Amino acid sequence: MDTQFIFFSGKGGVGKTSMACATAVYHADQGRKTLIVTTDPASNLADVFEQSIGHKITPIKGLSDLWAMEIDPDQASAEYRDRALAPIRALFPAQVVQVMEEQLSGPCTTEVAAFDRFVDFLDTGGESQPFEVVIFDTAPTGHTLRLLELPVDWSRHIQEAAGGSGQTCLGPVATIQESKAKYDRAVALMRDPAHTTFVFVLQPEATPIKETERAIAELSKLGIETHRLIINGVIPPEEARNAFLGERIQMQGRYLSQIERELPLPAQRMPLLDAEIKGVERLRYVAGLLYGAEPRASGGGQGPHRISSAELLRCSPSSQRLALARPDEVVRRLVPANGHGRILFFAGKGGVGKTALSCVTAVWLARHGYRTLLLTTDPAAHIGDVLGEPVGDEVQPLNRVDNLWAAKIDPRVAAEAYKTRILDEARQQGRPPEALQAMAEELDSPCTEEMAAFDRFIDYASRDKYDVLVFDTAPTGHTMRLLELPVDWSQQLQVKLYASAELSQADAAAKARFGQVIDMMRDPQRSTFAFVTYPETTPIVEAWRAAQEPSSVGIPLGLVVANQVLPPEQCTTEYYCRRLLMQSGHLQDMGGRFQVPILAAPMLSHEVRGMDVLTELGELVYGNGRG
Amino acid sequence: MVTNEARVEIFDLPMCCPSGLCGPTIAPVLLDVNEMVLKLNGQGVAVERYLMARQPQAFLNNAEVYRLVREKQLAALPITTVNGRVIKVGAYPTLIEVQAALDGDGAGG
Repeated sequence: MDTQFIFFSGKGGVGKTSMACATAVYHADQGRKTLIVTTDPASNLADVFEQSIGHKITPIKGLSDLWAMEIDPDQASAEYRDRALAPIRALFPAQVVQVMEEQLSGPCTTEVAAFDRFVDFLDTGGESQPFEVVIFDTAPTGHTLRLLELPVDWSRHIQEAAGGSGQTCLGPVATIQESKAKYDRAVALMRDPAHTTFVFVLQPEATPIKETERAIAELSKLGIETHRLIINGVIPPEEARNAFLGERIQMQGRYLSQIERELPLPAQRMPLLDAEIKGVERLRYVAGLLYGAEPRASGGGQGPHRISSAELLRCSPSSQRLALARPDEVVRRLVPANGHGRILFFAGKGGVGKTALSCVTAVWLARHGYRTLLLTTDPAAHIGDVLGEPVGDEVQPLNRVDNLWAAKIDPRVAAEAYKTRILDEARQQGRPPEALQAMAEELDSPCTEEMAAFDRFIDYASRDKYDVLVFDTAPTGHTMRLLELPVDWSQQLQVKLYASAELSQADAAAKARFGQVIDMMRDPQRSTFAFVTYPETTPIVEAWRAAQEPSSVGIPLGLVVANQVLPPEQCTTEYYCRRLLMQSGHLQDMGGRFQVPILAAPMLSHEVRGMDVLTELGELVYGNGRG
Repeated sequence: MVTNEARVEIFDLPMCCPSGLCGPTIAPVLLDVNEMVLKLNGQGVAVERYLMARQPQAFLNNAEVYRLVREKQLAALPITTVNGRVIKVGAYPTLIEVQAALDGDGAGG
């Protein structure tokens, strides 16, 4: 069967999952056997379809031709681990099996296993593909790119290793020759426009445009060409009768022209609806807008979620404020306590405004006299755009605010630096050139980037120079793996200690260093883990789910930020009111769900860019005092 | 004299990768082992390294190695064999030790 593969890509939070699901419903309604798969570690397919799905191909209720699956990286690695351990379990003593188990619990295994499962759908190894359309609701941009780049990196990696030591990060070459052929076929398929379509979903805003351009360029480098855009969240033009939305419409208009200019691709526009995109009926309605009749100019009152006039009456500013925290409650969790420094983590799905919030917070802290270092580990970092000053790989003071420094941790750059450091050390120890060469090859592994980025993180976290470290962390799934690393690593170190009689000096130093950072992350006096989300169903559920992960490694949640909260005083129209009511309900839900303060960051009629806006928003959110 | 058939096998400790280079720290002893392997290769001696997570079969193929692992568990590792004969248990050998064993085998055979 000639299967069509459709990839949905784009920054998280732009409505990628909704568009992918609407597309899936559209194809299934046309009578095509359709499968929608997500590789997003923080998947929300189940929320959109309002049924449980999980790590298996699951029929979607109410549609005879639609199935869905959420690739769970943890479960994929458990399966991978079981396969790898089966022969060992049968033959070796318990102590050995236990160590093997721990060995195979590392971050590298997780990445490998999830990707392996994903490729299985692209390449059925000659068996007939039961689906006519396979839709991938892929993970946020940075992570997507890494996933897509992996097959190319890996086949190269495998080839090099075959000529060298015969060992790779993935296992001995002999056992993965089969996989190499599989990865090669997967990449060939991704490059074939007759079989594969890449759909980029973006909103008409600066950062998403930039990220889409970057993503398209990266894909072109891999020989994969993009085919289509969906521009989501376009405010219906008639809503300009509301002054606040009128300003937002003008802002969007500038970006819509920019998209036409800079991304001349087939594009569809999707209006910002005043109701949630959830459930098959609503998805059908969206599919109609996308693939059927011309999209209606106004989304107002369309679809099954009409709002009565009684509800409209409740639309008052006071209903917004109930669940929210006072600024001083929040500020207490941001500033250093008991003479210790503090680390702030801003986590959340990509695109919910982690970078903006990190910048607002860092600028506010610096302006209140705290020496603050702002860091990003997002591979698609745009922190410099928000600050209005370039941010490099090294720590630099910002020009326009005292007490504020910034740097980005680019995993590739970090990996290079890490490699250089390791090789220099070896050179100083007098290692011969051929040994250095062998080391260099070994360090060219996909795992080195992850390790190196984390190494930098620890390096900054161990410095005493700053009062506060603000981390604009990478999108959720990636962040979680990064944050779980120290725990994994200290376990790995223990394995090493357990296995070898002598504790080398380097190991002892590393163990102390990781231990310190883990202790710090677990101590609410010294770290605050803040989740940023939109006050909308899916992002809230995702944030709540993702927040369980740090708790499971003993890192408590400190704060939840509801970003882009509509200012109630601007409410003058029904459409605005419906959006506001949607938000109020979700803010209430957040208050009940999270057992920590909820901070509201208001939506502005202009963008959060440049030092003046950051300062303005900081005062709005955190107040003027030190709290 | 070292013959062309000379064969050294190292049954390693559980590690992330065979060289131990992909871990958070790099133990100097693993670098020494890496260098020893390169030197032996330079002398025409084939050196195989096995990790239990990846080549469990190798640990079963040599009866003495398997017996040691079952008996002493992890304390037995690393094990080094020269032409199938165990020459070192619980620690890596030095280049001199390996060469002595190779020479012994050469003289004996």
